[in-house]
Amino acid sequence: MADTMRAYLDTVQEQIRWRRARPVVVRELEQHLTDQRDAFRAEGHDPEAAERLAVEEMGDPVEVGTELDRVHRPKPQWQLLAATLALALLGGLLRMWFTFSGMEYYDGYIYGRMIRTAIALVEGTVCLLGAYFLDYTWLTRHARWGCAAALVLGILSLEFSPYMNNTSYFTRYVVLLYPTVYAVWLYHCRGKRWKGFLLAVLGGVPLTVIGCLAPYTMGVLLLLMTGFVLLLTAAGADWFGVGKKRTAAAALGLTGVIAGGVVWHVCKSGWCQERLRMFLHPELDPLGSGYQAVWVRKALSVSQWLGEGSWSEAGSPYPYEWTVPAWDSDFLLTTVVYKLGWLPFLLLVLAVAGLLAWLLRKCLRQKNQAGRLVALSVIVPLALQVIFSVMQNLGYVLFSVSMPLVTGNLLTVVTMGLIGLALSVFREDCIPWEDHGEMEPPSQVRLRFQNEKDVQSGSHVIGVSLIVSRKGTNERQASSL
Amino acid sequence: MEIDKSLVSGSMGLLVLKLLEDGDKYGYQMIDELKRRSDDTFHLKAGSLYPLLHGLEEKGYVTAYEREAAAGKPRRYYHLTKEGGAALRRKEERWNTYARAVGRVLKGGACFG
Repeated sequence: MADTMRAYLDTVQEQIRWRRARPVVVRELEQHLTDQRDAFRAEGHDPEAAERLAVEEMGDPVEVGTELDRVHRPKPQWQLLAATLALALLGGLLRMWFTFSGMEYYDGYIYGRMIRTAIALVEGTVCLLGAYFLDYTWLTRHARWGCAAALVLGILSLEFSPYMNNTSYFTRYVVLLYPTVYAVWLYHCRGKRWKGFLLAVLGGVPLTVIGCLAPYTMGVLLLLMTGFVLLLTAAGADWFGVGKKRTAAAALGLTGVIAGGVVWHVCKSGWCQERLRMFLHPELDPLGSGYQAVWVRKALSVSQWLGEGSWSEAGSPYPYEWTVPAWDSDFLLTTVVYKLGWLPFLLLVLAVAGLLAWLLRKCLRQKNQAGRLVALSVIVPLALQVIFSVMQNLGYVLFSVSMPLVTGNLLTVVTMGLIGLALSVFREDCIPWEDHGEMEPPSQVRLRFQNEKDVQSGSHVIGVSLIVSRKGTNERQASSL
Repeated sequence: MEIDKSLVSGSMGLLVLKLLEDGDKYGYQMIDELKRRSDDTFHLKAGSLYPLLHGLEEKGYVTAYEREAAAGKPRRYYHLTKEGGAALRRKEERWNTYARAVGRVLKGGACFG
């Protein structure tokens, strides 16, 4: 590009304070300048004059840059950040309060538990803000390395993590990151036609295997369900370039096959049938598999709208804290109902659901497809966890699941980090980077010589073509002499 | 004929949305067509058009995508959204009311008590 045009574009971009918005804006202006210059040249101006005139036609670069600077600014998400922090704080305070009020039922050092909760809140805030200020497109630009790192992390956690309740403790939390890892992987597979679709499906296999090896059934379920939502969303945007309907049909077909496999497994597996039976009728085995659900249901039956329930009516010879297992973790919501009442429980669940609905609304308004998919990969698993957690705390126990932002210290840290990532997508919504940013560097540059016969004169000419192709697209930019 | 800038600036959003009603266009095409359709009356500087287009995109009135134009050059095309169409109708209605009122005054039909 000539110096006049380069200098003009440099001055424009210097006025735009948000550096990440600059490349796309400059690219569009550059395209315009080129068109204008070519038009002036076609009118008979010499190259230098054509460029000068094209630049003059654009207007004052400082004014143009300043106007563009007004449009392209990050959209702060302070309200959502504050709502997330407030809910995490509420969850942390609830955990601390229950710990304190039930201090006589703990064997260990009670203040240690409370300090761990406080530390988790600080760590969660750091993760929330860290992810919020992170350039999430870095993940999509380094999809292969990101996915490989996530797999290595999963394998390392399987190898070195301690086991609690027959589950690899840290792998549970690594698996919760996998829906987002899968969204990034899907982005990597775009534009590769059926090969891309196949790669997208196969990419989910090692992630699922790590979840199964943990073993973390709920994590696998979240990954599978979110994976299909993401695959269908990608199909809707024709990410693979084979047509929306065909991709959606393939994704639905795959969903059918896997869902069929799961149903078959449930029908054949005695363990699954037992879980399902206990889900519906825990009273059939009140001292075995149905123990948790039976006592949760009893605790709920003696609860009030507001205030503590009357445990004596539940029929247990032991206090609530000794009877209801995991009363301060997975069944913390049941404890909220029993100790505080149905109304606080409903308000708490509505607050978490409201935050997720707010996030979903923002996500669906996203213009950027990659951003929408990353945000969706955070929101869908959180929503599913809320649904399963509420069911579990109402006495319908299927798999062990925690309430996001309310239950669990490490879970709160992971959840806040993931929400921060979704907010970073919303913060950068005004960057129209997708079309430009998605473009891969040229993967193939070919110079082709052809001996051609001129139809009119009959003489032979040498045709020279420079073909630049980009990976994953059918675009070809060719010039010939 | 060159027109007073202040007259044009307020209605530029309306004109740009109207141009996109016929089909998707990129910036250079819009300036060219505006010039042609207004018999060279509206000579919009590209430097004014792009901030305006990006602002309309921000409001959700237009969406943008990249596509190859003639000669295989990639260009950023703008597409009028449903919200943009509704905004266009509102702006057109306001403009027509305003233009009729100005017309009546200029013809001496208005009565100022």
